[in-house]
Amino acid sequence: MSTIELSGVSKRFGASVALDGISLRVESGETVAIIGASGAGKTVLLRLVAGVEDPSGGMIAIGGADMADVAPERRGIGMAFQNFALFPHMTAFDNIASPLSARGASADEVRRGVESVARMLKIESVLDHRPRALSNGQKQRTALARALAASPSILLLDDPLRNVDAKLRFEMRLEFERLLADQGATTLYVTQDYREAMALGHRIAVMDGGRLAQVGTPEEIYFKPTGVEVARQFGDPTINLVPAHPASDDRGAFATVGGARLDLAPGADAVANGRECMVGIRPEALAFTEDAAGVFVVEAVTPLNEKVVTLVAGAEGTELLVSRPSHEPTRRPGERVSLHVAAREVLLFAREDGARLSGAGAGAGAGSTPP
Amino acid sequence: MSAAALVLDRIDKVYNPEGARPVHAVRAMSLELAPGEIGALLGSSGCGKTSTLRMIAGFEAVTGGAIALTGRAIHAEPPARRNVAMAFEGYSLYPPLSVRDNIAFALKSRRLDPAEAARRIAEIAELLEIDDLLGRRPSSLSGGQQQRAGLARALVRDADLYLLDEPMGQLEPRLRAVLRGRLKHYIKTRGLTVILVTHDQTEANALADRIAVMEDGALQQFASPATLRDRPANRFVGAFIGEPPMNLLPAEARADGAGIGFVLPGGARLAYGPGEMASQVREAALACGAVIVGVRPHAIRLSGTGLPARVAANQWIGDQSHVAVSFADRAVVVVEHERVTARSGDAVGLSIDAGDLHVFDAGNGAAVSHGEVLA
Amino acid sequence: MDHQSTLERVVRGVLIALVLLFFMFPIVWILMMSFQTNEQILRIPPSLAFEPTLENYQALITGRLETQAGTLDIRFMSNLWNSLVLSVCSVALALVLGVPAAYAFARFRFRLGEDIAFTLLSFRFAPPLLVLLPLTLYFQELGLADTYIGLIWVYQLICLPLILWIVRGYFEDVSPDIEHAYRTAGHGWLTTFRRISIPLTAPGIAAAGLLAFIFAWNNFIFALVLASADKQPVTVGALAFVTASGIQYGQIAAAIVLSITPTLALALYAQRYLVEGLSLGAVKG
Repeated sequence: MSTIELSGVSKRFGASVALDGISLRVESGETVAIIGASGAGKTVLLRLVAGVEDPSGGMIAIGGADMADVAPERRGIGMAFQNFALFPHMTAFDNIASPLSARGASADEVRRGVESVARMLKIESVLDHRPRALSNGQKQRTALARALAASPSILLLDDPLRNVDAKLRFEMRLEFERLLADQGATTLYVTQDYREAMALGHRIAVMDGGRLAQVGTPEEIYFKPTGVEVARQFGDPTINLVPAHPASDDRGAFATVGGARLDLAPGADAVANGRECMVGIRPEALAFTEDAAGVFVVEAVTPLNEKVVTLVAGAEGTELLVSRPSHEPTRRPGERVSLHVAAREVLLFAREDGARLSGAGAGAGAGSTPP
Repeated sequence: MSAAALVLDRIDKVYNPEGARPVHAVRAMSLELAPGEIGALLGSSGCGKTSTLRMIAGFEAVTGGAIALTGRAIHAEPPARRNVAMAFEGYSLYPPLSVRDNIAFALKSRRLDPAEAARRIAEIAELLEIDDLLGRRPSSLSGGQQQRAGLARALVRDADLYLLDEPMGQLEPRLRAVLRGRLKHYIKTRGLTVILVTHDQTEANALADRIAVMEDGALQQFASPATLRDRPANRFVGAFIGEPPMNLLPAEARADGAGIGFVLPGGARLAYGPGEMASQVREAALACGAVIVGVRPHAIRLSGTGLPARVAANQWIGDQSHVAVSFADRAVVVVEHERVTARSGDAVGLSIDAGDLHVFDAGNGAAVSHGEVLA
Repeated sequence: MDHQSTLERVVRGVLIALVLLFFMFPIVWILMMSFQTNEQILRIPPSLAFEPTLENYQALITGRLETQAGTLDIRFMSNLWNSLVLSVCSVALALVLGVPAAYAFARFRFRLGEDIAFTLLSFRFAPPLLVLLPLTLYFQELGLADTYIGLIWVYQLICLPLILWIVRGYFEDVSPDIEHAYRTAGHGWLTTFRRISIPLTAPGIAAAGLLAFIFAWNNFIFALVLASADKQPVTVGALAFVTASGIQYGQIAAAIVLSITPTLALALYAQRYLVEGLSLGAVKG
């Protein structure tokens, strides 16, 4: 029973505000991924929970108990740092053993504990190495092993995959899912990579400028972002955002994008209510149709590993990115194409503040449920 | 094809040759780059790519072999006489000069008309989004800004060859994506010949016409991104190119009537009937016997039928599902464009078309076949 | 760079030889002087050939100096002992006070923190003579004049700022995350300070301690004013060799050799740490 509860937590460094009224409840055994650009306050938040920094205001409770006067070593947490923060003068074994020996475990218990976590993370062979003799991947696993060694009920992971190469990051992401499930700890997972957040978080907390922009399941965040900033942080390539004026005629609500008619969900024009809008369309939601009289011209085709990203241009300099699986036929630069997108996949945002527009019954931009 | 702009002819680099432990950093590396071509040196750290770059720039002497640029041998020339522009991985700006003066410094020796110099500086600064930083000193810039200033200083010059060492490593991902496109456009419209060193294959794929994959000091393959992806020359390139990487499974190729079966660890058998696999591929695989079969994550299909496997992880990331399944005693990675609903622990069926199979010789790692064609 | 001509190599060799000669000559000369009698030293023209004698060392160790004017009592050995006591105790005290203070200045932002740190450093700037006169009066009043404790106290003006400022830099180089990691692993702050902060800055602390020791050992002016004959260090004690009948160069040379021996030995021993201290950057990985 280890919930983490933040209520109105803020942190100031001199005149600058790093965190501004953060309230978040993490259930026992839940993993919440915290994502945001650098400087959004993710790491500060983690440090406050760890107790290595004190909040300027608000309350932090772990397992229902106020942590205001509880030293970091008494909070029962395991923490992995972005820069690994291994103890350079100790072997990997002693690094991993440190939380066990701190709890007064016998030499035998320490050895068994270290060996079991090292086996799980496949670093048994380097236990007698000093950190400087380890590769980045081994350092990362050692840091993680140290955080997990004492089976803490709270796990704080500060972008643990940031400093490892892309391949290992992918591998570890797939492994982490089971690792976190097996631990059963209440976990805060800070990352800058939306894939990690979506893959590992039961819920995702999106931070922006020291505030929580949105907290929700991966589906909610991806399909119903509260605003442009959230929508932009998820997806690769990033979401297409195009200025639009929703209107309606006898065929229903629509907007004109790059000279083409874009059908919107019924009532979208009412929700927009004459305001300047932006439509957001995920690149993978766009598809090419066989309609020959297209208004879009292909500008560039970039094959990525298992998808092809096509940049198309329409009227008034409108540019859209289309992302399709690589087994589909690719287009050539200069070719004229037509595009299709389901009305339920189109998000509508207000131009002035970037907030997503949705109204009761209107359903404009209401996220589709994933197929 | 016109004469090559840059020719590396079997260059070698040995550090500490007389010492107790000489390090053979680059081994008989040969490569030709056409004028106006963008080549990338791609590899993990320690593969020899940076040593190669430093030899071209002239910061390291070649131990053996020759380097020619636009037809003249340059490997014995000091760096300043090679007419090569370089952007460094660490940002090597002159601290006392403003960003503008740093960039202008590269133009000084050319005795350009001041108005023309100013125009070129403004152009490159706008391209790299540092136009509002031109008056600032390097020490007041972030890492990414300094890196862009260093890149501008290299690109603004008139050189026969441009060397870019991890030019965008410090940039925020979004800016990196935007700048890649602009940078390529800039290079291509001016017909610059460029060598890019990177460990990031997305960067190499996006910018380079051809990529030289290096490992352990040796060139593994020098080819276009599409060729590297579809026809990797050996097992290393197959495993290295692609994110997520190709799945590699050791197998024993056995004749199965007129068909063929690949017996995998744990006893699973990847079987193809007569006509399913091209006959010349079948012959070659059987001739090899011990092989490694490779399959790209997105070429594997998951369904109710097929070879039995168990889901170890299933991660949906918006436009794709990344699934790890336990199969043939290892974790096999599958990428699906539709969302996969299976949960960890579920049994699934796995199938692979013969046309998506890469076969490598288990002995020397060389490619045997790619799909229906022989390597 | 590999492109090096023969000329460059020759010029470099000659330059290195010149530098070595410049720095090593005084030491070699003093060593030679210490094995010669005053007459040999002062003969014209000077000669490199001489008959080595241990007379100078003998005089220092037995404390009896035979000169033409008669026999003179010298307290060189007790001066050497004084130097050792004063330097070791001063450095030890400065380390006990300075290392935790340096940690505090490096890790915590507190009101007037920078000002206090700078004030401590400014003790190094003040001309010692300026404070010595009032200090002498105070010390006499307090009964601290001519005591080890009084001298060790004053020596803090030399050692403390040095240790504080050098060690502070080393603490700042250690990522706080390493300490945070040890704290969150379940260790209290004192254990963290002992097991993480101190070992990681040990090379820096050793370097600072060594430097402070050398400065303390070489100090002259404080002891000259505040200490009488039986508390004097060697630096002041060496004045005894300037006798009425002339300057005893041989004994001075021998005294110098004996007095630089401990610092030299310490420096050679600690060289390992000094080099390690310079490569401390590796800690951050």
